[in-house]
Amino acid sequence: MAKRNKLEIIKDILKIIQNNHSIKPTPLLRRSNVSSSRFKEYYLELLEKEFIKETSGKNKQITLTKKGYRYLEKYSAIINFIDEFEL
Amino acid sequence: MVSMTGRAVGQGLGQGLGKLMSSSIGIEIIYSFVIILCSLMIYFGTRELYKLSSHKGIKYFRQSFLFFALAYFFRSFIKIILFYFDAGEIRALLPIFGNITLFIFMYFSSMAIFYLIYSVMWKKWKSKSIVYLFHLMAFAIAIIIILFRNQFVYLLINLLLFVFIAFIFYKSHRQSKKKKSHHLYIIYLLLFVFWIFNIIDILIPNYLQTFQLFIYLISLGIFLSILYKVIRRIG
Repeated sequence: MAKRNKLEIIKDILKIIQNNHSIKPTPLLRRSNVSSSRFKEYYLELLEKEFIKETSGKNKQITLTKKGYRYLEKYSAIINFIDEFEL
Repeated sequence: MVSMTGRAVGQGLGQGLGKLMSSSIGIEIIYSFVIILCSLMIYFGTRELYKLSSHKGIKYFRQSFLFFALAYFFRSFIKIILFYFDAGEIRALLPIFGNITLFIFMYFSSMAIFYLIYSVMWKKWKSKSIVYLFHLMAFAIAIIIILFRNQFVYLLINLLLFVFIAFIFYKSHRQSKKKKSHHLYIIYLLLFVFWIFNIIDILIPNYLQTFQLFIYLISLGIFLSILYKVIRRIG
């Protein structure tokens, strides 16, 4: 299996959240298939870019924001564009 | 007296406008407008892809076309001034203003070319200081153009620039495994060749006069084909 690039890993993480509607951080880490240190890096980046949001309270849940959904919609366009221009 | 002066100003403006709209400057304005529009459409059309992905390749690609738009703006500005005052060289007409405009044009032109190369090569050139090196090289090229008022120097600089670009692209193309990248490299190489013709056209007026329309048509074709590729991919 080819090594996933950053854009693909982000897409996979967002896809897991989308499929579950909302998910806790630990199962998300398990299903995303990346090391915990890498996951933390991506998780913080996704929060910072406002692709995901955490619900406050005791049971922290993660959900997608509009930007997160938009990323998933545009993912194939991004990949095709990068591929087309060899970026 | 007042009405006489008003009529004279009106006549002058009318003559100026008529001169401006004559065929050669008309072609020049349309040509620049289409290229600037294409470049800005590429720049703004890819904004969302960059904002979502933060991909460096997309960033450098967009910046390249922003520089192309700015360079073409200054190029057409120089051309219109030269045409309006019926002059051969902008520096002979307006020494300080001409030198500044030419400097900005050369700097933006070089940066557009360097950023387009970097958009393809950034994964191989890991060093962050390369961008600063590009700015330095563009600055040096612009300074040389200002200091040396020699056609041989202009041609030599553009030839060296082309050899540098061709060498990088040839190396990159040989390393690329994708078949379709062949078309992209041809488009980019043509873009560089005709962009250099556009630069020579400004630096050495009348040097490429015979082929001007041909250069304009090919340049338009190249920019439109890149825009088409972009639109096809971004949807």
